[in-house]
Amino acid sequence: MLLTGNDKMPDVCVLLIEGTNCEKETQEAFSGVGLDAELVHLKQLLGDCERQRKRRLSDYGMLMLPGGWSAGDYIRAGAIFAARMKSKLGDELKDFVESGNLVLGVCNGFQILTEMGLLPAFKGISDVPTASLTNNLSSCFQCRPTYIKHVNKTPLTGKLDLGDVIQVPVAHAEGRFTFGEKQDMMLKQLIENNQIVFRYCRVDGSEAQEIYPWNPNGSIYDIAGICNPERNVLGLMPHPERVINRLQMTDWTRKDNGDAGDGRVVFESIAGYLKAIV
Amino acid sequence: MSVYREYTKRVYEINLLESEDDVIESLSRERNLGLNLSELKKIKKYYEKEGRNPTDIELEAFAQSWSEHCCYKTSKPVLEKSIFKTKAPQNICVISEDAGVVDFDENHAYVVALESHNHPSALDPYGGAATGIGGILRDVVCMGAQPVALVDPLFFGPLGFDYAKLPDGVKHPQYLFKGVVSGISAYGNRVGIPTVAGMVEFDESYVGNCLVNVGCVGIVRKDDIIHSRAGYAGDVYILAGGKTGRDGIHGVTFASAELNKESEEKDIPAVQLGYAIMKEPLIHACLEANREKLLTGLKDFGGGGLSCVSAEMAHSGGKGATIYLDKIPLKEEGLFPWEIWVSESQERMMMTVRPEDVDRVLEIFDFWDVPAMVVGRIDDTNRIKALYHGVKVVDLDLDFLLKGVVYARPQKTIERDYSDLDFTMPDLKEYCMKIAGSARVGCKAPVIRRYDHEVRGDTVIKPLQGVINKQTHGDAAVIKPLKNSFQGLALTTDVNPHFCRLDPYWGAASAVEEVVRNLISVNSIPHSLADCLNFGNPEKADRLGDFTRCCEGLYYVASSFNLPFVSGNVSFYNESAAGSVAPTPTLLGVGLADDVRKCVSSDLKKKNNLLYLMGETKKEMGASEYYRLMGRGGGLVPKVDVDSMKHKMTMLLGLMDEGVVKSAHDLSTGGLFVALAEMCFGGDVGARVDLGILGGLRTDFKLFSESNGRWLIEVEYKDKNRVEKSGAKFLGEVVSDKKISLIDGGNKTSIDLDDLRTVWLNAVDGE
Repeated sequence: MLLTGNDKMPDVCVLLIEGTNCEKETQEAFSGVGLDAELVHLKQLLGDCERQRKRRLSDYGMLMLPGGWSAGDYIRAGAIFAARMKSKLGDELKDFVESGNLVLGVCNGFQILTEMGLLPAFKGISDVPTASLTNNLSSCFQCRPTYIKHVNKTPLTGKLDLGDVIQVPVAHAEGRFTFGEKQDMMLKQLIENNQIVFRYCRVDGSEAQEIYPWNPNGSIYDIAGICNPERNVLGLMPHPERVINRLQMTDWTRKDNGDAGDGRVVFESIAGYLKAIV
Repeated sequence: MSVYREYTKRVYEINLLESEDDVIESLSRERNLGLNLSELKKIKKYYEKEGRNPTDIELEAFAQSWSEHCCYKTSKPVLEKSIFKTKAPQNICVISEDAGVVDFDENHAYVVALESHNHPSALDPYGGAATGIGGILRDVVCMGAQPVALVDPLFFGPLGFDYAKLPDGVKHPQYLFKGVVSGISAYGNRVGIPTVAGMVEFDESYVGNCLVNVGCVGIVRKDDIIHSRAGYAGDVYILAGGKTGRDGIHGVTFASAELNKESEEKDIPAVQLGYAIMKEPLIHACLEANREKLLTGLKDFGGGGLSCVSAEMAHSGGKGATIYLDKIPLKEEGLFPWEIWVSESQERMMMTVRPEDVDRVLEIFDFWDVPAMVVGRIDDTNRIKALYHGVKVVDLDLDFLLKGVVYARPQKTIERDYSDLDFTMPDLKEYCMKIAGSARVGCKAPVIRRYDHEVRGDTVIKPLQGVINKQTHGDAAVIKPLKNSFQGLALTTDVNPHFCRLDPYWGAASAVEEVVRNLISVNSIPHSLADCLNFGNPEKADRLGDFTRCCEGLYYVASSFNLPFVSGNVSFYNESAAGSVAPTPTLLGVGLADDVRKCVSSDLKKKNNLLYLMGETKKEMGASEYYRLMGRGGGLVPKVDVDSMKHKMTMLLGLMDEGVVKSAHDLSTGGLFVALAEMCFGGDVGARVDLGILGGLRTDFKLFSESNGRWLIEVEYKDKNRVEKSGAKFLGEVVSDKKISLIDGGNKTSIDLDDLRTVWLNAVDGE
């Protein structure tokens, strides 16, 4: 439910428009680690609603763009949400990001961040997208568990060690990360900047080598998630919010270890970071 | 006066009173009303009493409300003697509304609905399947419930069907299959409700008429349950959602006749256009307004459009109503008032609201960018009226309109041949590979992975289970719908139409048993059923005979297990020039899992664990996959032994609660062999099995019999005695060597797991 009035502002703004559909489990993932996350419709940030529903982005400690099919994604995934944000919230968002606040985009959220030029943002936020999350090589939607390896640290993944492998599901039709024409040069830069945060891998952590189904979409260099050079903006195709508890793991009946799902560590990292800076 | 006379602008009076029978009959045909002569005469009599002629809009109202699709005029007498009789204490509100409401826990109920979208999908597979999802979601939302899961049982002709043999005007099964799966994927994934269960069946009888059934389950706080009836006189009707257009005109009358080669052109306007991105906020807004107690009634626009929704809500509430036709927002200019009245355009909901709450309701819909407006008013007249530019163009007695007609049509039961002639046992290994590679048995991952089955994060037992990237079919999916409770809802859909064709009674009975087995397999207690009864033309006596026998079979087993039918749908006229579809009483079963942490999956867990079979294997080979692949007819369809089943259920649930059962899988199509193979696939391990304990039956029958009442379970060695006390038979053990070794006296065979998996994976091609 959308809040209509509150004394203390919540920690996280979970932003949605029509067609966003992972907001419920995203909100629960934050609350599960003690963070207060509010579901906010973009209209509330743009002032296009009743007075008591209005919100300001700068009042939050973090911006979360959850998964879904924003505005239907009938054209390039995330393009419409990105365009609406850019045209009406551009400066506020730029300030928010450049002040070092955390931004996480999952699945459609990653697509939106890329469309807005917030990722990979080699030289700051770019006016036009420099990368793209395009059609899976299988040319169809894939809902399946994947293994991803943590290869560079960010404040949003601080509780993971380098080389840690977690099992997180994907569910998308357009998740293949690509740079298009300048692929080699840009990939090199992404690697040199340590901007690749997660790569699809095999169960033992060895390289997926762009081979299906370990790499579910054909993403170059098995890229599953990247951050900006300042490391406060993270985009991920896999859905950590879907594996917060053990029972959400696809193979939990085969294991008997603890209560946490593999995705919880991302939210714990965020909670640790946000609480440390308060 | 001729037949038509202008009554007011764009509305015509129809001279029913002075027209001969043949004239009104041809009028019904030309206007696609689907009303037969005796129905037309009944209507004529009504207007003689009223002392006037009907308007064209009014005749359309009868065509909607008296269609088989809306009033169940043929099926009702049969259903009332069978599945409507199942009663159970968990029922809260069943059969009477768009979805069944059933007790979940102290404060919550779950809501179940299952429907067909067959005819639209046969013409436009992508759009038809998508709008099927849209419709079933609305059915659940209109009880005030948040949808938590979708299911979709699908039935197609063989994917390799010879193009040269395709009847005129019929689309190829491959095209329909891909279109339907894409449609479900496109719409279901966009609205953000997980598609967690379903089935894909293949049979030649579906070539001319594929079946697309869709089900939905929702969860609601008991104090938020709302009904599909008008609240109080003086309340207003608010229409929310999409605009009204020419799509979906005569959907219900189209669904109440056979498809033919002209259908492509003639009936395409009957197919609606879906828009998932209107549906998603529409659900949010409806549920928000309902939670704030601003609504006095809520119902979706389904078959029959505005005509049915406005009349049925008023009638159920014991009220009357007036609709302002010119207030309805339109997709395009120039719709005739009768088209506005019957259009089945998607994504629309109707609610009744107290006058003082109207502004607040409209604000909520505005916030979600969903158009909503006042379109009518409730009164105490027991009549449905409509005004068009101030002129009354509909004024009908609701009892007469909605009590409709009921038929006791002639029916007969066709005798079938159950003789089972002897034959020499073929090469076992060859048939093991053939069965694993048949489309009916083969891996459905190319379909399942097209659907987001874990959005919302509540899916705790997924449709595919086991080692990552080696996953196998499970028996049921389990949803944990509440954040602070470990109680779960297990969902499965089942029917074996091949059984039902050979023996409608025991085939339908077997469908209920399979539901029960699947729900038990994951450690849930069977709790309720929804049915979608897909049959041919009921005006043909043998079709109706099959329907009746199926209903009796369903009722026998369901009532024996105290399982209520809480919601359902009958879809007749599923036939084309090539004949009727096989009798297909599709079931959606819901089980309650007390504690989802004790749920069991189907993948084998560890080498050296022991394998046990529960239940009796009999020579019940009729319509088995083994016989079908050999081209053999005859044989007995498996029967249901209720008493022994109840005993085994209790035993198995007990073992599961104690944590003894490491994996479980029910035996169904392909018998013991397929269950064993699927369990091995998921665990990526082999098995060594000795069939000797199954007695003197021939080895092929032991392996491929589809007898009911059986499960294959995996337990640890330390629990051997505990399991054997339950009467389960020791079959063998799990081995790390990736081979399935089968021994039965002198018969021995060994199959390489990876070879077997390859044929299984390639049986059904994806997109």
